[in-house]
Amino acid sequence: MSITGTARSPRRGRTRAVPAAGVAALALTLAACGGGDSGLGGGGDVAPPEAQDCPCEIRFAWWGSDTRHESTQQIIDAFEAENPDITVVPDFTDWDGYWDKLATSVAAGDTPDVITQEERYISDYATKNVLADMSELEIDTTKVDDAVLAGGQIDGAQYGIPTGINAYAMVADPEIFADAGVELPDDESWTWEDYVSTANAVAKGAGDGVWGTQDYGFNEAGLNVMARQRGEALFTPEGELGVSEETVADFFQVSLDLMAGGGQPDASRTVEYQAAGPEGGLLGTNQGAMGVWWTNQLGALSESSGHELELLRLPGESEGERTGMYYKPAMFYSVSADTEYPQAAAKFVDFLLNSQEAAEIMLTDRGLPANTEVREAILDDLSPTDQKVADFMADIEDEIVDTPPVPPHGSAELADIMERLNTDVLFERVTPEEAAAQFVQEVEAATAG
Amino acid sequence: MSVIQALSRTRQEVSPRRKGDGRWALFFLAPWFVGLVLVTAGPMGASLYLSFTDYDLLSPPEWVGLDNFTRMFADPRFLSSLGVTFTYVLVSVPLQLAAALGLALLLDKGLRGLALYRSVYYLPSLLGGSVAIAILWRQIFGADGLVNQVLGLFGVSGHGWVSHPDYALGTLMALNVWTFGAPMVIFLAGLRQIPQMYYEAAAIDGAGRWRQFRSITLPLLTPIVFFNLVLQLIEAFQSFTRAFVVSGGNGGPSDSTLLYTLYLYLKGFGSLDMGYASAMAWFLLLIIGGMTVVNFLASKYWVFYDD
Repeated sequence: MSITGTARSPRRGRTRAVPAAGVAALALTLAACGGGDSGLGGGGDVAPPEAQDCPCEIRFAWWGSDTRHESTQQIIDAFEAENPDITVVPDFTDWDGYWDKLATSVAAGDTPDVITQEERYISDYATKNVLADMSELEIDTTKVDDAVLAGGQIDGAQYGIPTGINAYAMVADPEIFADAGVELPDDESWTWEDYVSTANAVAKGAGDGVWGTQDYGFNEAGLNVMARQRGEALFTPEGELGVSEETVADFFQVSLDLMAGGGQPDASRTVEYQAAGPEGGLLGTNQGAMGVWWTNQLGALSESSGHELELLRLPGESEGERTGMYYKPAMFYSVSADTEYPQAAAKFVDFLLNSQEAAEIMLTDRGLPANTEVREAILDDLSPTDQKVADFMADIEDEIVDTPPVPPHGSAELADIMERLNTDVLFERVTPEEAAAQFVQEVEAATAG
Repeated sequence: MSVIQALSRTRQEVSPRRKGDGRWALFFLAPWFVGLVLVTAGPMGASLYLSFTDYDLLSPPEWVGLDNFTRMFADPRFLSSLGVTFTYVLVSVPLQLAAALGLALLLDKGLRGLALYRSVYYLPSLLGGSVAIAILWRQIFGADGLVNQVLGLFGVSGHGWVSHPDYALGTLMALNVWTFGAPMVIFLAGLRQIPQMYYEAAAIDGAGRWRQFRSITLPLLTPIVFFNLVLQLIEAFQSFTRAFVVSGGNGGPSDSTLLYTLYLYLKGFGSLDMGYASAMAWFLLLIIGGMTVVNFLASKYWVFYDD
């Protein structure tokens, strides 16, 4: 049903054509809204189209800040200079808008050819057949550590290739430790109890308005580390919840102990610092000696604090039956299962992953590069904080046992669940044990089916 | 004359020449009509269909009948968001209307520079829904914000208002009350409609200010109160931006600011449960429709129409 078919009919006069055009426009609209296959089809049901040859145009979707948008555009320019028959169309937004936009684009059958993915969402997209198995594409992954590469595999298929790696680590401010007259802990031997007593001691020594540490309970990564130290895991490779209620309760109890001992601020301040991001948190505002952050946030933290911050291992690494820290894929490059130009998309991902030129522009913006060869090559170009991160990552490499499996479908809700329950615990509306029971129940419900 | 008679009469009077004009009218109406169908009616129809499906945006919707609706009532977060929303609406709307009426009465006294005051008090209504004001609100009600600094002057040490589950919703209600400008302007217009002679007559009979307000102003203003009430209730049920920004997008702390529309958004785009979110949207329509019907029925007992 098309607008042209009716309106162009040569026998009709001008006056007749006009309402006809109106009716045709209406018909067109109705067709567009008719549901079923065109509007609401989603990406999964469409058979992958035949691969096309280039010259061609592919779309690359990513989220991030203005600096990332600029540097990514430079990388695209470099790629296009090498591959004049491929045009890469940028498609970027900030983090919050990214997932709304991506989901709606997929629903509209307009999936970007190359998609930046993240741990919490990749299962959703992979299990709905939106993403291609990249092991079937021509992308050289030999320079990426196998354990890191496994972070993008689901049921044996490579749905995403890690862009780079981060670790969840303790960031400490030596100046505040010195002011408080407390020594920096030995991070190879400290226990979770040491963590609480150190933070409480710093708070006591440093005086009013300065605390020992910022609450860690809003992020499930800390829980995962604690679980792994006990031989458990947040999720099993089969995609089931692998952490016991006891561990979850212990995890929340640490925060209560810290609050009781003065090591961390009261609940409502904690909620505010949490909302303020790295720059507005305790470390960033020189109001706290410690905080748990991703290693790629060290730059932002150091810059806003103006102090030279240190990276420490998380507590308990030598306390349990094994170490719990791990390399987390910062993000993934994924390719649409529906792309018309899989070769071009693969070529572009290969360039992002393996090209020296791309790495020199990107540096550690997408995590410390997953490709170990280009990582070595850019070390000298890194800022002092980024070099510190690289050194720290190299230090812990031998201690890391494995990479956690990709979290299951539905794990995008985990962050919300964690944040809500942690707030409930901090305001003492529920006990850690009650929160743990609720956590298990809610996460199982979210990841079922 | 019935509608059908009217239509048949017009039909007889229309000349062949004028028929062409009708088509032109249709042509000129087309942009509006296309917009209505494409932007409003189409998506509404689609969401009605989706509300009976399991739809995650990534794969085609699957028909599940009333499943989404039955799931809603077994969902504790849904029920708590209903509670939060009703508290928000039922507390803040009456307060907002009272503030609007109070200021309208003050301004109606024929102050010099009335236009200026009117604009100043109307301003929050223009800004209140914006992201900027919501961010400002976060600051004002923060642990070290303006409110606590003022309280500090009186020796009261406050806590973070926005970040405390017992008070966060209160700050949102305060924000809603603060945007009383629109109903205030309507009240002002309503006050001008009341003939001055009633007051003169009442004054001669010895009625005081309060008596005049209760026996003249308020009864004659009830249609306006009713109009404002219906309008503001509908608007309050749909509040989204302020809760989204003030809570950092998740209805926190501890779901204390999880307004209905915010939960709807989180379900649709956060959990990719668009079928459920669509069902919620249609249920909200039922709630608002129900509230409005109740309002109209109750209006018989308290709204006084002059004519």
